[in-house]
Amino acid sequence: MNRRKMLSLLGISPALLAGATVDASSKNPKTAARVAPAKITALNPKGLPPPVQLVPMAPRLASLDGKTIFLVSDGFPGADHFLAQVALWFQKNMPSVKTEYRLKAGAFADDDPKLNAEIKASGNAVIMAIGH
Amino acid sequence: MGFPTAPLVTIAFKDLAKSNAASRGMPLERICFTPHPVWGKTDAEMYAYLEGNDPVTGKPLMKEITDALTLPLTADEKKTGSVDISTGPPTYTDTADALQQYYLDNGMTDFMQIVLPTDERLAAMLKGTSHKPDEIVGKMSPARGSYPDWQFTVKHVAINAVMAGAKPEYLPTILAIAETGLTSLSSSTNSFATAAVINGPIRDTLNMNYGIGAMGPFSQPNAAIGRAWTMLSRNLSNSGIPGQTYLGTLGNSVNYNNLIIAENEKNSPWTPLSVQKGFKQDENVVSVFVGFSISQGQGGIGLGVKPVPQYHEAIAYNCIPFGPLFGALIVCDPLVAQGLVELGYKTKEQLADWLQKNSLISAKNARSTLFAGRWVPDANTPDDALIPYYRSPDWYNFVVVGGQTNPYHMVGNMSYRVSISIDKWA
Repeated sequence: MNRRKMLSLLGISPALLAGATVDASSKNPKTAARVAPAKITALNPKGLPPPVQLVPMAPRLASLDGKTIFLVSDGFPGADHFLAQVALWFQKNMPSVKTEYRLKAGAFADDDPKLNAEIKASGNAVIMAIGH
Repeated sequence: MGFPTAPLVTIAFKDLAKSNAASRGMPLERICFTPHPVWGKTDAEMYAYLEGNDPVTGKPLMKEITDALTLPLTADEKKTGSVDISTGPPTYTDTADALQQYYLDNGMTDFMQIVLPTDERLAAMLKGTSHKPDEIVGKMSPARGSYPDWQFTVKHVAINAVMAGAKPEYLPTILAIAETGLTSLSSSTNSFATAAVINGPIRDTLNMNYGIGAMGPFSQPNAAIGRAWTMLSRNLSNSGIPGQTYLGTLGNSVNYNNLIIAENEKNSPWTPLSVQKGFKQDENVVSVFVGFSISQGQGGIGLGVKPVPQYHEAIAYNCIPFGPLFGALIVCDPLVAQGLVELGYKTKEQLADWLQKNSLISAKNARSTLFAGRWVPDANTPDDALIPYYRSPDWYNFVVVGGQTNPYHMVGNMSYRVSISIDKWA
């Protein structure tokens, strides 16, 4: 059996019959050492981000006294319990502030127009718990 | 929203929250931070967070919150207008080694050597499609709705295909995957994985592997198409920046080149997945899935115990750990599919119907599952009622692939998203 066939049966590439290590620069090492590597130009692979439209923040309240703050969860686990503690903190420390808990509808990043309308109609500010 | 808001975020997501606020037009949003995590803490521990300091500013957290709602706005906080976002110069010039390092250091790779995308290589790649380089292919973001969508053209996809080591003839498939808009590097903390099922004659035209080791590293088209998906996800949607657009706590090695599954239509007794999704059998189609990845299921109940392997029971058993967030992607060797036919499941749909009726979970357990409020039956369902695992049988999807060296299957807690024609991109 020839070596090529044997290597094939062993699942090894017959190309290895060439045996010797191949070094791309070995044919003319002196030249390779002297010549600086060529520079090449490659393309930017990035896509097109949209421009950012700056959104002015809503005017702030002069004071929280007597105001209603909606405590809104985006649905991540634990946010409901955490916001209950926020409500408790206001009861203890700023009792004139009324709090209302709501779970935002939809997936985490979805807008909830119905809730937004409710807050505009009957609330003054929002504390929104986002994340874990 | 039009009313003063104090976003409250745990410190683990500081970079994410700040960059997300900036990309949505509020770079100075008054975000307040708590220690991490909130989930799983007792009421007393959570209250202690509130009594403590914001870990970013070091100031009392509740003072930060009340200040966020009451301190007058600065001029910068009231600004309007449009800000263009630069992604850098159109080209980079340096030695090949320096460029390799540049692309790697600037987050444009999968941290392995790339094929440098020169003009010549791009021109060759673009010969793989009849579409114009500046044609818009689609939009993509690290999580739909949570981040701005980036847009991209045929040229952008082709550059990333070059970088991934693809051949021009792979480009239509890669363009179809890009058109799905599904990133392979989801921002979720869950470290999701993605799969692309390829159907149609292109599997043979490209010499894709759907036999022995079909989902392993044994075929250039399978490997390069999968790698291109991650490369383009990174560069065309800004996915995959740890802490900002990638939050997967453990990470997932499947993300290197994803699950590329060319269905073994020749040896399957069933209808190809693409035909189930409404395409003709001679059409070339890619169908994409996302979820918690895939795992070996050959050791399931019934195999090797009964005279005839009860593959359907094994599959149902192996799906038990699945959560309700995603459906089931079940990958069967042709031997398993043939065995299921002999057990009476002449179609994939019949098997899905059986699983829907027999793969059950108690309402109580379903309610205790993560995100239960969004995915389980209403409050009138008694706790001990057994309910189907999924909303409908079409949450089970089956793909036949493999080299018939053993009757094995794999199960993935992964959901079908969309199927796209590859032919339209030829």
